[in-house]
Amino acid sequence: MSGQARRWEARCPMDEMNEFENKLKQAFLRRPAPPSLKQRILQQRNQRRTEQLHNRTVLWQRLAACFVLAAVIGGGLTWRHIDQQRKGEAARDQVLTALRITNRALNQIQTRLAAHDRDDHE
Amino acid sequence: MTKNFHLRLATLLLIAQFAVRAFAQSAPQLIPPQLEKELSAHASDVTEVTLNKSMLSLATQFMHGKGDDDAATRHLLEGLEGIYVRNYEFDKDGEYSPDQIEKLRQSFMTPEWTPVVHEHERRSGETSDILIKVVNGENRGLFICSAEPREISIVLILGPIRVEDLSKLHGLAGLGALAEFDRDDAPKIKEKDKEKSKAKKDGDQ
Amino acid sequence: MARDWQPDFERLVDEHQSMVFSLAWRLTGDRGLAEEIAQDVFLELDRNMTRMESPEHALFWLRRVAMHRAADALRRRHVRGVDLWIEIEENHGAPPEDRCSPLGARVEQLLTTLPEPQRAALVLRYQEDLTPEEIAATLESPLATVKSNLQRGLKLLRAKAETSLKDYVRPGKAMGGALSDG
Repeated sequence: MSGQARRWEARCPMDEMNEFENKLKQAFLRRPAPPSLKQRILQQRNQRRTEQLHNRTVLWQRLAACFVLAAVIGGGLTWRHIDQQRKGEAARDQVLTALRITNRALNQIQTRLAAHDRDDHE
Repeated sequence: MTKNFHLRLATLLLIAQFAVRAFAQSAPQLIPPQLEKELSAHASDVTEVTLNKSMLSLATQFMHGKGDDDAATRHLLEGLEGIYVRNYEFDKDGEYSPDQIEKLRQSFMTPEWTPVVHEHERRSGETSDILIKVVNGENRGLFICSAEPREISIVLILGPIRVEDLSKLHGLAGLGALAEFDRDDAPKIKEKDKEKSKAKKDGDQ
Repeated sequence: MARDWQPDFERLVDEHQSMVFSLAWRLTGDRGLAEEIAQDVFLELDRNMTRMESPEHALFWLRRVAMHRAADALRRRHVRGVDLWIEIEENHGAPPEDRCSPLGARVEQLLTTLPEPQRAALVLRYQEDLTPEEIAATLESPLATVKSNLQRGLKLLRAKAETSLKDYVRPGKAMGGALSDG
């Protein structure tokens, strides 16, 4: 037995303390819960679940709306990007076509002028 | 009330007409409409290219190749206001008359346009015309017309076109020919044309 | 395996609502507050049902959460032992079935005058019959601290009992019999 226990034993006899503790146990018996407590608990639980379901539904609806909106915007942006790219490439092709025609016309003119220069020298 | 209504309608129509004309005038006229219609009617193949400033800018964005051609092309297009091309191909000779080409050339004979090359070969029916638009001493346009018996190529480039830039486009089968075309040579070429025409007249006689 | 156990919420409420309610009441000394605490504890249990591994685990969890909630409520309300003593003495609003013996009520009054840590230790010791080790685990407190609180709380409670329960001491009886009922 430890020193502290011996001192305790000297001040308060073990049998007296044990009896006191027994009395405490009897005094501390569990109090019955109010009859309506369970009902209130279940009611609140159901209410909270309903709210959660509602909130979850609203949340999913909003998420779905966001997804749809994002898809529409994304689709629109993608389409616009694709369309812009198509137009840009078409414009580039037209520029090249124009420059080729220009080049050919200038070559034709150059050839004619060169031929005339030869004729003149002859 | 009826009188007021008619007056308002007439006013609206007048405004609309000016608006249409203003819009039409914003795009340069490459070929007189009637002439264009006539050439198109007889051509077996027509190539039309109409590129205004915004289209040229868009095209430039998609020339991001690292080759010299793309870089040179971008440099060439820089600042241009438009490129307009018409190319007509015909199945047989005689589908168009030299007068039509002359009419086209005359439409560009304004003080702003300076002929650099003008040659008409009656025997072969070939015509060569190059004009440069000069505004305040700066090149602001280039007109090219090359006519052969079965093909007409008409090119109008508006903006600060630099002739030497055109010549750098080697990737397009070489445009070095244009480097030789300079305004300073114009009088000589014209004289050659005149002499040639004169010689032919003498010969014909 | 413990995981084979499928917790049933309503059954857990039936089994432990008195325990939770009693813990909350004895710690706070306030019946209405104890009901609120009990509701909160079981709603919290509902949110954590998937974490319950066994009936023992659920019991342990309920005790711990009940003690924490009650301690939090005490701190928020700064309830003093004297005020509670008056309320409890008047048995304000308590239905007949809730009224325990006069001795029990007195002991509960005395309990509320103790410091909260000692009160918590004593309630778990004598209401729930927990060992000091189990009390330490429930309160998440060091074992030495729990033992110290038990010892001091018991000593203080006994001293207060000797003083205030004289009415219940029959003439001629020894101290050990002073706490008998009736």
